[in-house]
Amino acid sequence: MKKSITLKVNGRTYPLEIDVKDLLIETIREQIGLTGTKEGCGTGECGACTVLIDGDPVNACLYLSVRAEGKEILTIEGLRNGAMLHPLQRAFVNTAALQCGFCGPGVLLSAKALLDRYPNPTEQQIREGIAGNICRCTGYSKMVEAIRTAATMLQDGVR
Amino acid sequence: MLLESFDYLKPQGLIEALELLDQLKNEQVRVLAGGTDLIPRLRAETEHVKYLVDLADCGLDQIAFDRDEASIGALTTFAAICRSRQVRDQLPAIAESSSQIGAPQCRTLATIGGNLCSAVPSLDSAPSLLVLDARFRLQSKHRERLVPAEEFWVAPRRTVLEPGEIMTHILVPVSDEFHASFLRIGRRKALTLAIVNAAAGVRLRDSGEIAEVRIALGAVAPTPIRAHMAEQVLLDRQGTQDLIAEAADVAVTETFPISDLRASADYRRKITAVFVRRVLANAIWQSMGLHLGLHQ
Repeated sequence: MKKSITLKVNGRTYPLEIDVKDLLIETIREQIGLTGTKEGCGTGECGACTVLIDGDPVNACLYLSVRAEGKEILTIEGLRNGAMLHPLQRAFVNTAALQCGFCGPGVLLSAKALLDRYPNPTEQQIREGIAGNICRCTGYSKMVEAIRTAATMLQDGVR
Repeated sequence: MLLESFDYLKPQGLIEALELLDQLKNEQVRVLAGGTDLIPRLRAETEHVKYLVDLADCGLDQIAFDRDEASIGALTTFAAICRSRQVRDQLPAIAESSSQIGAPQCRTLATIGGNLCSAVPSLDSAPSLLVLDARFRLQSKHRERLVPAEEFWVAPRRTVLEPGEIMTHILVPVSDEFHASFLRIGRRKALTLAIVNAAAGVRLRDSGEIAEVRIALGAVAPTPIRAHMAEQVLLDRQGTQDLIAEAADVAVTETFPISDLRASADYRRKITAVFVRRVLANAIWQSMGLHLGLHQ
């Protein structure tokens, strides 16, 4: 069952012809061509496909594209501010918080959702905030450190 | 091309939804709440669907507190429940179980009604609602009924819901005197089905005797269960450590755990005894205005 919809992704509006059974991960990657969002397990357990919908983290592999109409979608490509990487991205680079990087887009977006809600999170809140993102390289300690660094940067007005 | 084709219908309002579900009741139809359970099942082709009815626009996502009862719309997400100050203050066992489900991404989408209707034995919303004596409002085009939580689940993945009927609200009694506590254990803290989950709720008399008590367990039987015999052990008596231990041992005899990839039946029995002791102790402490530091 085909349907014409418009999706707002990273501030841009995309008119699309989708099938109602299309998952957001398919539409974002295959139709819109934003391949920064990764698919890991495909069953909502690993968090690699995390995007923000109206600011809240969602697994794009569990979400029908047709449901996203009228909502603001943020993918990893929309996190940077022009030429500048987002403070979270800079902190992840500087802390060497990622190894293979496959989980990175999802972790970064979960972290952004966390910091938007809790600008000065405790370590416990950070760990719970990224609990839905599995890293096969097991680098969580560095991630927690990077998120705390980014929180400080953002609180100091660094953009 | 991850999912098989289906027709997608999004009724505007509950009346339209019930009308639609009535028309389609002899078809292969599923309602869509959060989708965190259904979408992977469609993708794995464990389930097939011809019509998918999205309930997002039916106004079933509201939390409302009356003087002695809370009404939680079946489509309320766990994220919304965790954010509700009233739920946290007045129904802390529900806030506790809701905050431990899945992970943030899951809680953004997953709904309490969807969790209940999935009817898996380990569903984390069940124990708290069982001990709080919740009732579920089920509606179809032709009737509306209130079903006590304990009568809702029939078997794994099976409930009393009939074709054309959906859960619309969860009704939970609210009382200053009844205190409930919830615990779960999984292989990890996030993103895992419970190996065992448990809740207990008590009301104490001024004398300290237990005037009212309910114990509920999940993942240790084909459906979530109440431990009625263990409750009888406690009733009208002082909740001493020895009595709590006795009740916990009785509760274990009321379970029918299986061994699976998450845990052995034997481990589930051992954890059941420990958890019943802990949730009872915590509920009793809470009734005395104290807290036991047992949350994992």
